[in-house]
Amino acid sequence: MTGFAPRHGLSRRSLFVGGGGLVAGTLIGSNLLLGSAAAAPLAAPAVAHPRKELHLVGTDGWVGMPDNAPADPPFFPDSLAPSPFNTYVFGFRDVTGLSAAEVAAQRGKAQISAPMMAFDEEDDIFLTLTNLGLLQRPDLFDGHTLHWHGFVNAIPLFDGVPELSLAVPVGRDLTYFYRPHDAGTYMYHCHFEDVEHVQMGMTGMVFVRPKQNRTPIGSDPVGTKYAYNDGDGSTRYDREFAFMITELWSAAHYRDAHIQVNDWTDFDPSFWLLNGRAYPDTVAANGNPLSTAAGRLQYQPISSLINCNSGDRVLLRLSNLGYQNHSMTVDNIDLQIVAKDASLLKGRDGTTNYITTNTVDVGPGESRDVIFVAPSTPGTYLLYDRKYSYLENGGGTGYGGMMTEIRVGAAGTYPTQTVANT
Amino acid sequence: MKLTIRTSRRRLRAVTGVAAVVLGSLLVVSPVASAAPSVGAVCDTDPNQTFSLTAGDGYVSTPDGNSIYMWSYANSKRGFQLPGPTLCVTSNQLVTIVLHNTLPEATSIVFPGQKGVKADGNPAQPQFDTGGSLTSLVQSAAATTGSVTYTFTAGSPGTYLYESGTDVDKQVQMGMYGALIVRPAGHPDQVNDRADSAFNVSDPLSPKEYVFLLSEVDPDVHLAVERGLPIDWSAYTARYFMINGRSMPDTLAPNNASWLPAQPYSAFVHIKPYDAVTNPRPATIRYLNAGTVNYPFHPHGSDERVINRDGHALQGPTGQDLSYQKYDLDVGPGQTLDVLMDWRDVEHWDALTNPLPTQIPSINDQLLVGTDTWFSESGYLGSSNPLPPTITSNNQCGEYYHIAHSHALEQATNYGATFGGMMTVFRIDPPAGCPAQ
Repeated sequence: MTGFAPRHGLSRRSLFVGGGGLVAGTLIGSNLLLGSAAAAPLAAPAVAHPRKELHLVGTDGWVGMPDNAPADPPFFPDSLAPSPFNTYVFGFRDVTGLSAAEVAAQRGKAQISAPMMAFDEEDDIFLTLTNLGLLQRPDLFDGHTLHWHGFVNAIPLFDGVPELSLAVPVGRDLTYFYRPHDAGTYMYHCHFEDVEHVQMGMTGMVFVRPKQNRTPIGSDPVGTKYAYNDGDGSTRYDREFAFMITELWSAAHYRDAHIQVNDWTDFDPSFWLLNGRAYPDTVAANGNPLSTAAGRLQYQPISSLINCNSGDRVLLRLSNLGYQNHSMTVDNIDLQIVAKDASLLKGRDGTTNYITTNTVDVGPGESRDVIFVAPSTPGTYLLYDRKYSYLENGGGTGYGGMMTEIRVGAAGTYPTQTVANT
Repeated sequence: MKLTIRTSRRRLRAVTGVAAVVLGSLLVVSPVASAAPSVGAVCDTDPNQTFSLTAGDGYVSTPDGNSIYMWSYANSKRGFQLPGPTLCVTSNQLVTIVLHNTLPEATSIVFPGQKGVKADGNPAQPQFDTGGSLTSLVQSAAATTGSVTYTFTAGSPGTYLYESGTDVDKQVQMGMYGALIVRPAGHPDQVNDRADSAFNVSDPLSPKEYVFLLSEVDPDVHLAVERGLPIDWSAYTARYFMINGRSMPDTLAPNNASWLPAQPYSAFVHIKPYDAVTNPRPATIRYLNAGTVNYPFHPHGSDERVINRDGHALQGPTGQDLSYQKYDLDVGPGQTLDVLMDWRDVEHWDALTNPLPTQIPSINDQLLVGTDTWFSESGYLGSSNPLPPTITSNNQCGEYYHIAHSHALEQATNYGATFGGMMTVFRIDPPAGCPAQ
């Protein structure tokens, strides 16, 4: 899990925990078409906009798919990969707070999935993207951009589509500004030659916490967390886990490293990933790309292991930046879909339309917010893609791919969660 | 960036330049098509709701210079087109469709979602040969000269596919599909019978109604059919991905563009920001999937509210609103979704009164992609700044452009070349309009 280092006295943690201390904001302009279920006054008093500053870099690098996946010569493992890695990627890194020399040193050290970001509604987010270039491909002058996928009311300047605004050249930077007004689960990715840069790994999770966290519903104590401004507490949760769903096509990654070309309509993935890792790597602990401790997973720092206590309400944030539909499934536990694409499933008249199911379909570019109650029986449960053919690593035997574990402990086993995916 | 992609991108850019020139004259409509808006849905209508369609063949062009042999439906008074004509009818009234076949094999039309369909006066039913094998989903018109007349009472207001029911995998891949729009009686400005489905028809020359009929092409299948060779379905791989029979950037060209004679339908969206007083109503977009895989369509810059699915309003038993907002419309094969959309200037950035809190880098510190750009070189709606002399501006008055595209990103390519395929652009003009027009 990568957080953001402090600036202006903000703690790294404050970005992940619903920011306390703000006076209640007022919902902005609501109406039949786009408004939330609750009617709201049009004239809102001044809303505070806490300033959040982040610094990302875009570059290339090497990561490690599971070692025991069968070889797929010449694509996997890549002969150019430095030990202990095997796969070439493009990616982002969080360099907030690092010195200029330290930032420059991250060239060629991309991570997948990209740093996970969390904000509060009405934050003023200043996100600087620096393009460090591609260490393995100095012949390329690819730009990078940051597209915050699903962000409504975006203006082209900050939408990150190079053909409709601008891109960041190698060696330059650009500060994007966002002021999210709508809680929910989003994603971000580079939009420069998107079919390539997205597949190569420039994809990450971003989510926005609701104002309702500052004014809990009913008798809920201060500090209660909600996924949305639901008005009734129905999206309350104790723990949250976010999953960037992608596929990895080894041949394309190999060709990018070896100065060859791809026909993207031949897309034929080899690995199916949660947060940049294939099972069983998905359950390994969170890491730190500045440390070699995690070995092959150094640049895949985000864990997908779900630890929770019996009775906990667990929020799953599922975003798909792959090119295939996925059908995420849990056995023995009911799943409740409360939102799709960062919109609470409530009609314009407030009618609740949550869906209780055991499979959650997530298409490319979509997100789902799913809540389950951890069962009373401690033990291990599985979250996996019901598309069984995606539960393999590079065509090998055994279980792999888009799968992780839900480890339920007796009440009190795990302390209060303060950071997502822990 | 890849060498071959660069090559094809150059071609793409050349086409983009043409499209851009046309964007500058969106309101200039050729005399032939003077009844049709330059962008937005183009309806075939008839006072008796009677339409004559001819199944035939022709060619379409793709932005990379390819020419694809297609089959489709044409209005019998006009030439070949892809997709078939958009037929607009009123709910609960009789519809008659006479199909004339000029293809070398039998063909037919099925109307998924319509009930009580009759073929030549008999109930429309699957057809079997004497051995009991299914030969067609519905009564067909014989090869070369046959005809058949379908009748039905138009069903619930919304959007439906019509498509071949004969040799379906081949004929539908070949292009035999079109859109059927059923309008609520008495409310042509609504998607369905609910008042909250109203869309913007304030300018009769430019109603904010758009059809996005999504499909794909494997050129090898089309080549085999053209040459009379067997089709190898096990090798099927789609290479072109289309909205209304066009791929980006052709999707941006106006309706009835002269250089796309068999692909008459634009997919360009042209709106102004939402305003409670001057522009209160949203646009509507009608998504149809005529392919065999999902098309997860992602509009930038705005959510879209799904209010209809497969021709039925999303509502509870007593009218509860079960519509929902999406930033990605994952349209399944054969499915239709009707949405309402607008774009809202929430921050109202203004250079004087509400400046953007960050600076645009100097032009030398930016990467403007390609030889032309839609970017105004400004963050402010209605304002623009100079571009380097090497880059052509497609921007007229500081209007905004957002793209919308399939997020199965291999579908947002032309045979693998990025920024193509199932993609279009939404243009958002300043509230007062664009003086350049």
